[in-house]
Amino acid sequence: MNHSSDERGAELRELFFETSQELLQALNDEALKLEKKPGDEEIVRSIRRTAHTLKGDSAACGLREISELAHQFEDALSVEGATANAAVAEIAFQVTDVFGEMISAYRKGSKLPSTTSLSKKIKALTSAPAVRKSRGKKAKSIAKPSEWTEYEKLSMTQAQASGMAVYHVVAKIDPHCAMPIAGRQLIQNGAAAAGRVLAIRPDPKSPAAVKQVELVVATSGAPEQIEARCKIPTIAEEVSVELMLAAVEIIDPAVNAAAQTIPDPAQPLPSKSESGAAENSAVQSTTENILRVEAGRIDNVLNLVGELIIGKSMLQQALSEFSKRYPRELLRSTFADAMAFQARVLNDLQRSVMKIRMVPVDQLFRRFPRIVRDVARQCSREVELVVSGQDTDLDKGILDAIAEPLTHMVRNAVSHGIESPEDRRKAGKAAQGTVRLNAYHQGNQVIVEVSDDGRGLDAQRIRAKAIELGFVSPDESSRLSDSEVTDFIFRPGFSTAEQVTEVSGRGVGMDVVQSVLHRLKATITVETRPGQGTTFRLKLPLTLAIIKALLFWVEQRLYAIPLNAVVEIARTTEAEVHQVDNYEVLQLRNQVLPVLRLGRPQLVGEEGKTHKLFVLVITVGERKYGLIVDALEGEEELVIKALDDQTFSTDLVSGASILGDGRVVLILNLPAVVEHFAHSRPQESGRVHSGLLLTATDRMRFAMTQAGGRA
Amino acid sequence: MKGELHIVGFQVGRETYGVPITSLHEIVRVPEITAVPDAPDYLEGVINLRGKIVSVMDLRKRFGEKQVDLKKQNRILVVEHAGRLAGLIVDSASEVLKIPAEDVEAPPAVFQEGGLNCVTGLGKVKGRLVVLLDMSKLMAAGNLQQTSNPEAKPKAETRGAAAR
Repeated sequence: MNHSSDERGAELRELFFETSQELLQALNDEALKLEKKPGDEEIVRSIRRTAHTLKGDSAACGLREISELAHQFEDALSVEGATANAAVAEIAFQVTDVFGEMISAYRKGSKLPSTTSLSKKIKALTSAPAVRKSRGKKAKSIAKPSEWTEYEKLSMTQAQASGMAVYHVVAKIDPHCAMPIAGRQLIQNGAAAAGRVLAIRPDPKSPAAVKQVELVVATSGAPEQIEARCKIPTIAEEVSVELMLAAVEIIDPAVNAAAQTIPDPAQPLPSKSESGAAENSAVQSTTENILRVEAGRIDNVLNLVGELIIGKSMLQQALSEFSKRYPRELLRSTFADAMAFQARVLNDLQRSVMKIRMVPVDQLFRRFPRIVRDVARQCSREVELVVSGQDTDLDKGILDAIAEPLTHMVRNAVSHGIESPEDRRKAGKAAQGTVRLNAYHQGNQVIVEVSDDGRGLDAQRIRAKAIELGFVSPDESSRLSDSEVTDFIFRPGFSTAEQVTEVSGRGVGMDVVQSVLHRLKATITVETRPGQGTTFRLKLPLTLAIIKALLFWVEQRLYAIPLNAVVEIARTTEAEVHQVDNYEVLQLRNQVLPVLRLGRPQLVGEEGKTHKLFVLVITVGERKYGLIVDALEGEEELVIKALDDQTFSTDLVSGASILGDGRVVLILNLPAVVEHFAHSRPQESGRVHSGLLLTATDRMRFAMTQAGGRA
Repeated sequence: MKGELHIVGFQVGRETYGVPITSLHEIVRVPEITAVPDAPDYLEGVINLRGKIVSVMDLRKRFGEKQVDLKKQNRILVVEHAGRLAGLIVDSASEVLKIPAEDVEAPPAVFQEGGLNCVTGLGKVKGRLVVLLDMSKLMAAGNLQQTSNPEAKPKAETRGAAAR
């Protein structure tokens, strides 16, 4: 069905590989629906349409094996009675999987998977006895007739009156055509060369304009001529020419009357291939005016916007310098106005570029029904997946990064969270468990939740395991709250193979999940109620590129943390910091905060007691901490640039940024900082952990000055 | 011209080292360096190279030099390897050397282990020895962690060089 010229072959193939993913997803979705409603003809038809599209597209790319299998599958489905066969859904799943394998095999150029067993199954489908009579013919899809305006009708009859025949031309624009609107113009030009174009539909601005074009052409020539002119390889794939008004020799005096009796061009597309038309309408309903752009190009634009933002703060700095030096200069306000204008536009620009990178989480969520189904079958669970908040937008990069951890969590929820149907009945619950996926915005973050109504985490067993692994001492563990205990499942090393059987299996690879989230500056929390279920909550940043940050000094170095993590900035003195066991805590009004000391350890002696401190109260996950810093610098919008993570293996720093004056500031990864404090326990009791941000050279220098002081 | 290596020569301590001129991006004066916590001591930190963040390694520390104060003539060699930029602090960067391929010898076996496995060969120019460095090994992540004992290696290196 497609005209593919040789030089476009490779490009076409690449495009097919991309679009086929969507088609496969659609097949998957439909198969799932069919499984719920076996025998539903509408769903089977829609599966057939998808298979047909796949067949056509793959044939156009010369991928014979795929198109043959798709053809077989499509044929099998069109046999009457096949609809009622319960195996259809199962086979649809298998076909989808095989298609996926084939496509990736083509892509890699590796050997194609064997399809013989599958095609046997498909054949078996067709030979299955018809269980019930088909309910008449498949619904004919009639393309919506275009309506002509009075003026156009008038010009048609006039053309007819002047001895020309009026033809209705419908040209389908090749979906692979790179510039459909330009293609449309070419078709129009072709038609104009063959005759006089009286009307054109649809409007070039409407989204349907990229799919087909309808023309009314008046000509005294042969209709074949119009067809030849309009059929442009790789642009118009199908052209139909129909006579609307035959040429008349005698001029009809009742022009107006004739205008009203124009046969309605109700069938612009004679349904010679009805499935083709049906496919067309399906495509129309799903695709809008979408531009496929390589992600790299968008990133490039985003980087440039980032540079502009740095430039903006450079200008701002220069302006404030200027104002200081020439306070009476009138030009100042002109500068300030221009700056404000530029800043506003820049803000808009930044937001628009970010929006390009945003995609609905549905792109990720829609693969889960299949996963849940498969896992539920494997572990013989009855599970329903409820998905909500699919429209929530998330940065594409983040979405791709959480795909794996989220899959992991959903699998876990099904296989370990939900009990077996018998156990559920015994516990007085419905045999069918529910796994919920939800996404929503909260402030500057996106929350993704995976929850189940299963048995919940067993805090006692996790506690026992944590003691066994040496994470806590027995008496320490008794002081921990249940929610503190359940956090242990995110510790690296907590998930061991034997644990899968010992402790309900939860936590397998949760540290892997955690490590991905660290990289994203995201946090995860778990909430569980025994017997009622577990909820994992991912808090993800909206974007990875630009953040509002608070800048502060530690040991004469500038650092930044995301502003949305900061709850409060307070001043205190060393006297307010108390030492409990190996930890320092700070009493701030009526709350007690664990203290994270980033710089040098506490000063001792009388002078130390009155030493003033800045405390940044931050939240990480659900908890608050007090971050002790030397001085504050201010608030700034930072464009995050990655550190070369092959040279720097540290996870304490999530990135760097360049300030207006060219200084480099490091952005701290708070979850990792907190973790460092929690996990690294000093050997000697009574010593607190500090100096996280000191480099080896710093330590040497301090050790030297201390030694020098003593001597 | 065939079989001739174009090398940018630079000094670290008393020795002359060289990297292929194709991997050199530029040579800059040492700007303000932002230290990164939790990194090996020869990783000085990061610099702002006209809007790009570039990590900087002090080759003098990497090769165990004692004299590590930054002076006026210190330079940063910005090298590019596999699309990544990295800065190398050296004592001074001087010349472009043309070394015929036959004057380059494979590094002695003692170099293969430890921190000097980044040496690809020894070039002879007018009676001097130039230690040729392999960018990929110098910048490889795994390599950076294992130079915990900087004392042992420079000795091996000077000995190796003297033996030739």
